[in-house]
Amino acid sequence: MRDETLLDTLKRRGISRRGFLKFCATTASMLALPPAMAAEVAAALGKVRRPAVIWLSFQECTGCTESLTRAHSPSIESLIFDAISLDYHHTLQAASGHAAEEAREHSMKQDWGNYLLLVDGSIPLKDDGVYSTIAGISNLQMLKDAAAGAAAIVSVGTCAAYGGLPHANPNPTGAVSVSEIIKDKPIINVPGCPPIPAVLTGVLAHYLTFGAIPDLDDLGRPKAFFGESIHDRCYRRPFYDQGKFAKTFDDEGARNGWCLFELGCKGPTTHNACATTKWNGGTSWPVQSGHGCLGCSEPDFWDGGSFYKALSTPISPVTGAAAAAVAIGAAAGVAIGLANRQTKAAAKAAHQKATIADLEK
Amino acid sequence: MNGLNGIGVKVVHVGGNGNAHAVLREIEARLQLLVEKGEEGSIDLSGLPLMPEDYDLLEETLGEGEVVAEVHSLGPTRIHETGIPGVWWVTHYNSDDEVLAEFIEVAWCPEILLTPEDDVKDGLEALRARLFELNPKSPLGGAPSLDL
Repeated sequence: MRDETLLDTLKRRGISRRGFLKFCATTASMLALPPAMAAEVAAALGKVRRPAVIWLSFQECTGCTESLTRAHSPSIESLIFDAISLDYHHTLQAASGHAAEEAREHSMKQDWGNYLLLVDGSIPLKDDGVYSTIAGISNLQMLKDAAAGAAAIVSVGTCAAYGGLPHANPNPTGAVSVSEIIKDKPIINVPGCPPIPAVLTGVLAHYLTFGAIPDLDDLGRPKAFFGESIHDRCYRRPFYDQGKFAKTFDDEGARNGWCLFELGCKGPTTHNACATTKWNGGTSWPVQSGHGCLGCSEPDFWDGGSFYKALSTPISPVTGAAAAAVAIGAAAGVAIGLANRQTKAAAKAAHQKATIADLEK
Repeated sequence: MNGLNGIGVKVVHVGGNGNAHAVLREIEARLQLLVEKGEEGSIDLSGLPLMPEDYDLLEETLGEGEVVAEVHSLGPTRIHETGIPGVWWVTHYNSDDEVLAEFIEVAWCPEILLTPEDDVKDGLEALRARLFELNPKSPLGGAPSLDL
């Protein structure tokens, strides 16, 4: 079982060649690859071995796991989960207590250097990490031990990727992201609060298919899903371009489906796949339901000011040049190398309207 | 998705966002490639955000053709040729009838409808095995073997 490829797994389950073709076409679509890449997906699936996966949950709310278990295309995504060997996940596994921890240790030993480590939740560092422990082991220690033998790490959700809610001001537990602790392994960030299930399975499918991690942006996110902003792919974007904005949640503009920018939509500064992949089996997504984007896949979205203030308004009243300089410095530190974000942060601090040209940079 | 039907939501559509026109132009370009070079192609409909009106416009513009087919593997896949010959609408569903992926294929025949070569070879063996069961005495199942 451990040595079989995904193609073997599919064959064993009696999937026909047409079914395999469908699987590849759907996977290519999920990975946002051009349809012509389906043939390459098929070729790659015949070669890649079934990886072991260890999933560690730290300072989190289990929302990421909840999201994932509601992945909407059971037949395809269950195949992907059949194709991995999920050896430890303390919420989903039947074993508990010593047996559970033994399973983790056994899997780590057996696949040392080769397993994929998935982490959700942030890691508290204050007071020796005493604020979150599993089986008496601090999250910090467990992460370090498990990361040492991992081929790659996937930070699932905004907490693991950027610290998330536990990291929000005043951060009482000293929570940090995985990437602030582990520096010597490839880390794929799949942020979102929670992440879109199809995006996580897409990342796993990519790893399974090509045996390598996908192309990442400068915040460690797979470009296939986080390469464009919500705003770029928003079906309400044409209204933004026409200057048609809802001013309140119940005015005529809101009823006509106009742009929610002035109601605080963070779409222009948020990179995620909600606008195309949508939620709940493609039923809808926040903007389609009439509410602006909260920006949940971006670092420090909890500390970004009101969810209901337009991006062009400052986070807090700016009293002097020193405060503005601090605000710019802090914002720039978060968004290293992202000139467009810095422009927007500067615009926020100086209380200027961000122009369309700024947003499109 | 059953629960959604129980929620009293009044859906008001306010018009498409214009992306259907882009898809239609891409179909035109691909169809020209098929005619001139015999090159087949496919468009993933999840690539551009389309509103219900955009789907309506796509469907109305392309129309209905002569062929409707369904493949049952990993849930149904429904295929129909549009009113523009060579332009096929292929929708993959899962076993719960939810859409997994949707493509416009510009091709002589969508790949998923063609019988895979290996399946044909397996089929020949399966047929011979069945003929052998009918008449175990002959190595080829008793039927006169034809040199094709």
